[in-house]
Amino acid sequence: MEQPSKINNNEKSVQQGFSPSGCGDLIATKKFTALVVDNDPICQIIEKAILESQGVETQFVGSGIDALDLLATGANFDIIIIAWVLPMMNGVETTRHIRAMGIRSKLLAVTACFDERKKKAFLDAGVDEFIEKPLNPKKVASIMREMKK
Amino acid sequence: MDRNKQHRQVALMRQSLFDQGLLDEQFVQLEELQDDANPNFVEEVVTLFYRDSARLILNIDQALDKSPLDFAKLDGYMHQFKGSASSIGAKKVKSECTLFREYCKAGNGEGCKRTFQQLKKEYALLRKKLETYFQLARQVGPVETACRRI
Repeated sequence: MEQPSKINNNEKSVQQGFSPSGCGDLIATKKFTALVVDNDPICQIIEKAILESQGVETQFVGSGIDALDLLATGANFDIIIIAWVLPMMNGVETTRHIRAMGIRSKLLAVTACFDERKKKAFLDAGVDEFIEKPLNPKKVASIMREMKK
Repeated sequence: MDRNKQHRQVALMRQSLFDQGLLDEQFVQLEELQDDANPNFVEEVVTLFYRDSARLILNIDQALDKSPLDFAKLDGYMHQFKGSASSIGAKKVKSECTLFREYCKAGNGEGCKRTFQQLKKEYALLRKKLETYFQLARQVGPVETACRRI
């Protein structure tokens, strides 16, 4: 009988969901989760739809304060998308607070109007990527591919 | 008119929206999000955009009537407007938003007012064309294969 470890060590088997440990167990397919922090209702709907089309369970909130409140309850997200313009506390401030909470989620900043100053402010605050709106499915797909590696 | 002819008419109408520069690739991305569970997703989002942005248009109109102009406030409104316009693929509207913001940065009130008038024209034109397109597409029903040419 063929050794399971030979089958399960090969990359294709791992991609098919078999554990590399050789025991033949299926790896549970990870369900990614996302939080969209954007007060624009159009962007909320579109960003949520794009993420869900990639199999990402998504919630949205309309302000940085709401995002921090939600995260403080222990809610965990693999990806957090943050807009620049938010009521009361802008996206950069929100990002700083999120990182100060010790949250290691992948943070993506999104803005309708790109400029270097904004990009620097967001990156300094702790986002992983800075994207000019609109968020598009191809971009999300490439981020998901990276995260699945 | 037979069904094939109707589908061709819808396809041509759709293509003209891209050829005239009214829509960009983002619109196609939204169409690709449509499925059996959400067959009218794009139309619903566009409808919501026009409903929601009416408030912003009014805010900007009122802000442009004030003297002196508050360019920071105008810029803020337009930033938001540009975000949602670009999210539905409204290419010409988005360009006017960018131009408006440049005039805001330059403190050019006349430029802002002129650009805003043009923006409203593009906004209204796109709305009319999309309404016609969606109405015809609904009448004709879905095509069996995707028509992605842009």
